[in-house]
Amino acid sequence: MRAYAAFTKKEFTEFTRTYKLLILGLVFLLFGIMSPLAAKYMPEIISQFMPAGMEIEVSAPTALDSWMQFFKNISQLGLFVAVILFGGIMSSEYSRGTLIHMLTKGLPRRTVVLAKFTAASLLWTGAYLLCFGAAYGYTWFYWRSDANMSGLSVAIAATWLFGIFLLAITILGSVLCRNSYGCLLFTGIAVVLQFLLNMLPKIKEFNPLELITEGTPLLQGQIETGLFLKPTIIACVGTLLCVTLSCIIFNKKKL
Amino acid sequence: MNVLEIEDLKKKFGSHQVLDGLSIAVPEHSVFGFLGKNGAGKTTTMKIVLGLLQSDGGEVRVLGEKSVYGQNAANRFIGYLPDVPEFYSYMTPVEYLRLCGQITGMKEKQIRLKSEELLELVGLKGVKKRIGGFSRGMKQRLGIAQALFNEPKLLICDEPTSALDPVGRREVLDIMEQVREKTTVIFSTHVLTDVERICDRVAVLNNGKTVMEGRLDEIRDRHRKNALLIAFERKENLKRFIEEPVFRKLLTASKKEGCQVIIEAADIEQAESELIRGLNETQIMPSRLEILEPSLEGLFMEAIQ
Repeated sequence: MRAYAAFTKKEFTEFTRTYKLLILGLVFLLFGIMSPLAAKYMPEIISQFMPAGMEIEVSAPTALDSWMQFFKNISQLGLFVAVILFGGIMSSEYSRGTLIHMLTKGLPRRTVVLAKFTAASLLWTGAYLLCFGAAYGYTWFYWRSDANMSGLSVAIAATWLFGIFLLAITILGSVLCRNSYGCLLFTGIAVVLQFLLNMLPKIKEFNPLELITEGTPLLQGQIETGLFLKPTIIACVGTLLCVTLSCIIFNKKKL
Repeated sequence: MNVLEIEDLKKKFGSHQVLDGLSIAVPEHSVFGFLGKNGAGKTTTMKIVLGLLQSDGGEVRVLGEKSVYGQNAANRFIGYLPDVPEFYSYMTPVEYLRLCGQITGMKEKQIRLKSEELLELVGLKGVKKRIGGFSRGMKQRLGIAQALFNEPKLLICDEPTSALDPVGRREVLDIMEQVREKTTVIFSTHVLTDVERICDRVAVLNNGKTVMEGRLDEIRDRHRKNALLIAFERKENLKRFIEEPVFRKLLTASKKEGCQVIIEAADIEQAESELIRGLNETQIMPSRLEILEPSLEGLFMEAIQ
């Protein structure tokens, strides 16, 4: 247990001192601030760029627009940035041979995998909370009580869970492949596969991808929160499966 | 008791049989020199012992416990210094050793004491800068400190001196000599003078097998040839020496090499006294006269032929 805590702490030190934490924090803070601002000022920006004499009916922006922007940014760019940053979490250790000292001291191999997954999950959670906090603050500032929409907490939690699931896939990819490109490719293929599976209605209702695609419809009141139950279960099981598999494969990996 | 036992170890890379039935035994508290040409399989053997490589056959036991590929519990007895030790470059030496202590479950106080002791031993006490800015020599010394951190019963060093300057090499060898009382040391090298300085046992690896193994002094005794070397400064003296009838009997079993002659004799002391008497009578003065010790280099060359 102490080895696990020490190694997790080492990951945090690494992220801080190699400026990855700073990048992650700044990018997510930016997304958080930008989403409400973009929603608020989009009509004005559009009208500025309109040719003279042309009129276009733009409805006044609402808190819903702000959250729509938020979920769009997080599910596209935010997760992308996170996967890129965490994709090298194992490969940098493979290529430099830094794990040799740790493992030859008797550090259990599964501890390495679990500590890395824990650190990545905590960092993702922190960055996501920062992003959400900023977005919430600005949305509250512009639209007051509208900021807390019904279904918001479920949509927020669903996106967070998908992030965790994606990180578990990234960890599995980084245990399977020696370099970070291989890991990114693996994660990319896993996401594309989910998009393809989404075309089959029978599978769609179980697809974890629903967690990020159905957030906006939920806020718009088009769907029920119950719809998230099956994808949530699948995402949890998938996460466990990926992490367990990673441990098993890493136990026999040549370093 | 043997700290490390390797039996009939086999490993093939593609079509190249690197290890072909290698067997060695390393007794407790020895400094064991593991010799071989570049590519002879020294690093491969060490990696198999540590579970970093999978063997194709044979068995490795560390303190009686079987060493396995992958997650290897026997590693808790071992300290390992790779040929090029790599650290987390963003840490300071103290932080790195602390991590080493924590992952092996040591207490904080113990970690602090041990860090101080080892950093003192390897000459890195008070170094505050991050490892990223270290020289090769400093990294090698920190490598020894981390390898000794959990008080291993077996210290495995892979060519610890081969990339160092003479000062760094001396320091590393001194450290290894100092720790021999607490632990058993195996180190691979192709620098024979290092072996002569600190090893008491050696094994020579060639074509995937041990071709020579045992105590260094015993090997020397076994290969001792009773030979005398006599060297002259000038060719004329050599010529006079060879043509002188007094030495004819001695020179029946001899070999000429440049300006020196190597004389073999069953009773070396008698031959020496005869030689000195003869030299005195004839007033032929050699520049050097010595009883030949078998050199490790000679033994090594002989073994890998």
